[in-house]
Amino acid sequence: MTDTTHKAARPSPVAPPAPVPAKAPRGARRWRGLTPWLFLLAPLALLLVFTYAPIVNMVAYSFTDWDGVSPELHYTGVGNYVEIFTREDLFQVFFVSGYYLAASVVQIAAALYFATILGFNVRFRNFFKGVLFFPYLINGVAIGFVFLYFFQDGGTLDSVLGLFGVHTDHAWLGTPTSANTSLAGVSVWRYLGLNFVLFLGAIQSIPSELYEAAELDGANRWQQFRHIIAPGIKPVLTLTVILSISGSLSAFEIPYIMTGGATGTETFVIQTVKLAFQFNKTGLASAAAVVLLLIILAVTWVQRRLVPDERVDLV
Amino acid sequence: MTRRAVARTLVYLSLLGATVVVLLPLAVVFLTSLKSDEELANGSGALTLPEKLFNVGNYVTAFQDGRMLSAFANTAFILLFAIGGTVLIGSMTAYAIDRFQFRLKKLVVALFLIAALVPGVTTQVATFQIVTSFGMFDTRWAPIVLYMGTDIVSIYIFLQFVRSIPISLDESARLDGANAFTIYRRIIFPLLKPAIATVVIVKGITVYNDFYIPFLYMPSQDLGVISTSLFRFRGPFGAHWEVISAGAVLVILPTLIVFLLLQRYIYNGFMRGATR
Amino acid sequence: MNRRTVLATAAATAALLLAACTGTGGTSKGADAKAPDDPSKVSGTITVLTQRTDLVQDGTMEKYAAEFNKTYPGVKVEFQALTNYEAEVKIRMNTENYGDVLMIPAVIKKADYPKFFASLGTVAERSKKYRFTDFTAVDGKVYGQSPIGVMPGFVYNKRVWREAGITEWPTTPDEFLAGLKAIKDKTDAIPYYTNFAAGWPLTSWTYVNGSVHCDTQATTKLAEGDPWAEGAELGVGDTLLYEIVRRGLAEKDPTTTNWEESKPRLAKGEIATQWLGTWAIIQFQDAARQAGVNPDDIGFMPFPAQADGRFCAALSPDYNQAVNIHSEHKEAARAWIDWFTDKSGYVEDNLALSPLQNAPLPEVLKPYEDAGVKLIELDDAAGAQVKEIDAQSEVGIYAPDYRQDLVDLARGARQGSLDGFLDDLGEKWTAAQANAGS
Repeated sequence: MTDTTHKAARPSPVAPPAPVPAKAPRGARRWRGLTPWLFLLAPLALLLVFTYAPIVNMVAYSFTDWDGVSPELHYTGVGNYVEIFTREDLFQVFFVSGYYLAASVVQIAAALYFATILGFNVRFRNFFKGVLFFPYLINGVAIGFVFLYFFQDGGTLDSVLGLFGVHTDHAWLGTPTSANTSLAGVSVWRYLGLNFVLFLGAIQSIPSELYEAAELDGANRWQQFRHIIAPGIKPVLTLTVILSISGSLSAFEIPYIMTGGATGTETFVIQTVKLAFQFNKTGLASAAAVVLLLIILAVTWVQRRLVPDERVDLV
Repeated sequence: MTRRAVARTLVYLSLLGATVVVLLPLAVVFLTSLKSDEELANGSGALTLPEKLFNVGNYVTAFQDGRMLSAFANTAFILLFAIGGTVLIGSMTAYAIDRFQFRLKKLVVALFLIAALVPGVTTQVATFQIVTSFGMFDTRWAPIVLYMGTDIVSIYIFLQFVRSIPISLDESARLDGANAFTIYRRIIFPLLKPAIATVVIVKGITVYNDFYIPFLYMPSQDLGVISTSLFRFRGPFGAHWEVISAGAVLVILPTLIVFLLLQRYIYNGFMRGATR
Repeated sequence: MNRRTVLATAAATAALLLAACTGTGGTSKGADAKAPDDPSKVSGTITVLTQRTDLVQDGTMEKYAAEFNKTYPGVKVEFQALTNYEAEVKIRMNTENYGDVLMIPAVIKKADYPKFFASLGTVAERSKKYRFTDFTAVDGKVYGQSPIGVMPGFVYNKRVWREAGITEWPTTPDEFLAGLKAIKDKTDAIPYYTNFAAGWPLTSWTYVNGSVHCDTQATTKLAEGDPWAEGAELGVGDTLLYEIVRRGLAEKDPTTTNWEESKPRLAKGEIATQWLGTWAIIQFQDAARQAGVNPDDIGFMPFPAQADGRFCAALSPDYNQAVNIHSEHKEAARAWIDWFTDKSGYVEDNLALSPLQNAPLPEVLKPYEDAGVKLIELDDAAGAQVKEIDAQSEVGIYAPDYRQDLVDLARGARQGSLDGFLDDLGEKWTAAQANAGS
């Protein structure tokens, strides 16, 4: 979403342009150095207390055998981590993430497609925009209900297929493949809108003169996409890809509400929650959460290595 | 037909298809919410119309069992403070990150980003202990501080806007003797209005939709918010589909209304400065 | 501020929080919640945690509280209904904020009861009046009391079973399966409904324990042996469930079942049978009344197994109510538990079994008396150990997961054989025994 030319032309805030008089006095400089921290004081305090302190706690628990409630806990060293990496059943659930990863590819492609179309003049543009974005705003539990009804035997999906003369006896959530595909489909339905609007914003912030110039040069739609749109949306695409990958690895809400992890739909986070709350292995669950976090960070890091983009400060 | 016309047709077909895919599941739930329990029990198909189009009985059930009045008050209270806090925190963070160079800036940015990547369910025990140790358990402040924390999307939206505000405005104000706080308050913050509108809506809807935090942190009956109140009557033993559907529609409806009325602001926020 | 100070501050803050926050619950030990001598003098506001969100929502609990206030005018009772009871209570028990009266969640180790709950009295005195005292007893003191007793069994539609030509309760799993087959052939009803999607109804199968061989020591055998060995209690139950599904006697698509819907459907005869418990009877009768069909069609039958020519059913407590050891109104809390157990009418309202010794069976269980079903109470001495093995092995006999897998296996959505599956469970279980047994 950052358009690079504009940004590069902008003077850097630390090196103010010439008219600034001689060097500021020492006290003032010190004050300037402190200013950003004053702004960040409250945000960082909240962040540290309510996000990082729990993470530190979680890391600490991951070295213990704590059951989540007992006053007693014992230090077990790296035992939990050893268990995670030596028990293959704990890692099998990552296969399920594959479905969500595949779904996010579809989702990003679809979002790009619709953003490109609706970035230009189309009839009922606002209506379509609204329709595509709306699911993102809907309550997760409500979505769970809506789609349980959708996939039910004789539910919405079967009725619709019936209209087309397709009478299937297929249990949509009945086999691992079908169930995971269905659930990943729901997640596309839900999150497409956010990606779409972010892309749309990026596309619309590209100056229209660029397209006009391209049209004059005889570039077709694909070439316009390739050479104007694609570079323009790269930063937001980067953000989207990272969030999609971490989202796929930590998929939780939709499968938890809809199947509770039955029939091979257990994701890593569901498994972690079950370890902690069903089997009271809070220590092991914490270690699993730490591993998940490290994996996500590693993915983010690799992704940034592959697509270096120092213009996006945020990502 | 020319190639162009074919392409146009395909484009519209794809849009139409997407519309059906998005709306159909919702429409069916809406239809279901208007049916009586006998209709459902007698195997009324998902796509059949309800016998009585204005059967609002299920809504009445969902509404009455939901203690709606206090729920509205609590939701409003939480929304007010959580959103106010998010706007202040998000804009301050964005301002500090974009307008200043300081050591550890990368670390701070990374802290905010990583926070967004942590699956919240995994740290809930520790979070609960901390919230309780501040004495905020079973008060409306617990959800407020938790919502205020670290919303990467809000910060992102603000950052986009702060970036698009010409830095020359800051500079000229500074030459007039304004300090950083004055600049933030007098120049940056007012110019962030479209972004604020977006954050208010998006954050507001997120807060409004959240179940988990109010369930866990405000178990008292009179501290119910809309989402918890409506779903509490469901209980562990579930309820009838038609009432569940009515509840779902009731939860979705305000979102829809807000969205329809204010969608311009939502898009504007995401599309940095497109209108300015 | 340079990098080092920032990091140091962050670390220090975090360390402080960590130290302040671990295990704040359960630090005091050994308090008693004595029953008040004079009801009119007890005062205070008590908070009662419950999983019955439905009863809180529809005002039933308020009515009990109003009735309670007639005897105890000085006590104000407030309810907090927790939707996801186990998980939420567990999180709250890390602090002192877990109400005045609560139901003991499964997560708390029995040995830790004295750290979390105030004692209600000694086993010696309480067992004269109440059943199930040993389920919550630690070192001779009792920490909880269940307001009702429950018994597992099949809720079934009598009319449908009659139409299929079966009037006598099946006495063996094979006879039972033949009965379901007859229902499938002769009626339109779904012979058996798993309630797979809701999940928790599947956990009822664990309470088969004790009914197969009429064995009061069944829980001890769980702790010491392989529960899925040939002929062992859980093995017999799970094999029956497997066969029901494998032979196509269960619903077509288990993954989208609906618990609430299953009640009127069973009442109307669209579903013939479900393995649940006595607690469910009232709900199915209500569903029948709402659907306008005869509530007397709802029947209840024991597990198809006989020992010495008699059926057998194992009685067990529901959630046990206890007093928070940190409660400031222990007398009032105790008064509530006693009143709720003895006088509230909760038992009758739910057609449940009374937790009082020698109380008569509810009317709905008349057929049990007629058939001479033997009611036993399991010895819970090894109960704590079973829970520990269960958690350690991650089998989860009180959770739906492994039976969902079993149903998947039976309907071909999962690879493998029944024997392999049960052996695998047994292996995990016995491996955990080695660790937890000590």
